[in-house]
Amino acid sequence: MYFYCISGLSVESEIALPGRIAADRSGGAADVRIRSGRVPEFLEGAIAAAPTWQMTDRFFVLRIPGVARFLLCDGDTILFEPAPGTPVADLAIFLLGTVFGVLLHQRKYVVLHASAVCVAGRAVLFCGASGAGKSTIAAALGRCGYPLVTDDVCAVTLDRVPVIHPDGRQLKLWSEAIDALDLAAARHGPVRQCLEKYYVQPGFAHPAPAPVGAIYVLREPRPPATFGIEPLNPADSAAILHEQAYRRRLVAQMGQTALYFRAAIAIANAAGVFYLTRAMDFADMDRVVALLEDHWRAIGLEARAA
Amino acid sequence: MIGPVWLASYPKSGNTWFRIILANLSRDEPADINTLRSADWTAGNRAPFDAMLLIPSALLTHDEADGLRPRVHEALVREAADAASDGMAPSFVKVHDAYTLTPNGEPLLGGIAAGAILIVRDPRDVAPSIASHSRTTIDQAIAILNDRDGGICTGTRGVSQQFRQRLLDWSGHAASWIDQRDIPVHVARYEDLLADPVHVFMAAMAFAGRPADLDQVRRAIGHSAFPALQAQERASGFRERPRPGDALGGPFFRQGQAGAWRDTLTETQVAAIEQAHGTMMRRLGYELSRPAGGGMGG
Repeated sequence: MYFYCISGLSVESEIALPGRIAADRSGGAADVRIRSGRVPEFLEGAIAAAPTWQMTDRFFVLRIPGVARFLLCDGDTILFEPAPGTPVADLAIFLLGTVFGVLLHQRKYVVLHASAVCVAGRAVLFCGASGAGKSTIAAALGRCGYPLVTDDVCAVTLDRVPVIHPDGRQLKLWSEAIDALDLAAARHGPVRQCLEKYYVQPGFAHPAPAPVGAIYVLREPRPPATFGIEPLNPADSAAILHEQAYRRRLVAQMGQTALYFRAAIAIANAAGVFYLTRAMDFADMDRVVALLEDHWRAIGLEARAA
Repeated sequence: MIGPVWLASYPKSGNTWFRIILANLSRDEPADINTLRSADWTAGNRAPFDAMLLIPSALLTHDEADGLRPRVHEALVREAADAASDGMAPSFVKVHDAYTLTPNGEPLLGGIAAGAILIVRDPRDVAPSIASHSRTTIDQAIAILNDRDGGICTGTRGVSQQFRQRLLDWSGHAASWIDQRDIPVHVARYEDLLADPVHVFMAAMAFAGRPADLDQVRRAIGHSAFPALQAQERASGFRERPRPGDALGGPFFRQGQAGAWRDTLTETQVAAIEQAHGTMMRRLGYELSRPAGGGMGG
């Protein structure tokens, strides 16, 4: 059995989850248990569904044809059933992504689709759709000494200030990015045997929760947007952050729209929300890092963590 | 519930122009080329798949993703039908894929589709257009046209915002659409659209079950004239260009001409295209510059 701390939850897992923050086996029961078991093809009485998933008030089934099925129960138990021939190591990427993300939704967490690094004790988030370059920017910043807070799944809790919870020490990068950022030495195993995407540990990780410092929504310089950083006004910030919810479709299906709007407003109030517009070109990465460091000085985040 | 009409074409064959005319149909002022909303979604785009299925398609192989794409098309149509007040108007969806079968043996683009408008263009004009768009040489562009396993976004070392789209070679692409028997297909030649835009466009709309008013079409075509599009691109750029923000590379809206290949291609290049695609070119009414079966030699 493996024990981890993921997004602020203690996790007990039958299979290894690469790059997660290991936790001591504690006396008490884990918040989340991950184990193998029989997973139904379909849920009876689903209240929402799509071709690959169904949900009820208590259960959620995710079906990845030819790979695995997952059953989530009550936000505390995850059962997995690999398809014949699927190596069990291939499941972790789905467990750590969609499955854990849905579990956080079941637990009424606010989850953003973002990667984050730590700058002077604060979490700086990069939001965007899959393929928008979140992990690549986090990796480039990791190489410059900014510790990783989270990759892809960004759990937020709202206390006095919004706090981001770390999910692990490794992020996921395509071989193209690994080569361009010269991170071959930091490369671990592939996320699936059949894909050229790998777990990568570009630098240190920040293992503790961090208050949110700034949020960047990534976009490409398609007209009328041009290279640079542009602040969003408070109303737009809240709307855009709501759009950056992880697996956003579930927010409405799970009746959490109001929660996300409240959270988006709290996050927008506590931290600046900005568009970061840059070409998706690895050759430009140094320029993007320099732009960000200048911006952090301008908005009062220290340029370098001690 | 009515499925989408695919706006199908090999790349650089007038798909964008057709969509701009569509976008201008219901407007008094010219549509901004950077806020086109004529296609409800683009079949090659990963985002609707990821949002619907909750699985990042990037974590699937190209073939695995293809296996699920028909399910996404069905689900998107169902949702659009639920959301639409009339529920009847077919939507137009841009697609570059050839008409192929998924690894499960089902048509990738059959199923719920109401039909397809296939826009074809003389491959001798497609080649220089690809070369300019993708910054290749014309010979490389011809190699793409002639590649039976051709496709876009086929890489496996990174992820593109689009799916791998199998194109086949130029002839194979056209044949895959014209010869399939699953859905009705209407062929519109780019050259005819240039020569007689009003009637060619109206025929396509009639096929799609959305007959358009003559005056409306005339105005839309006026707003979509190449000089107007070029002026818009010069003033504010075009967001559908590859590599946004890249100062290099020519404009997206180049010439909007038919037959420019005569001044662009060498005899050898013309021969290479005609030899590979002569049969389909004749079938689509493109006259060959040399007799059938002519070799590469002079």
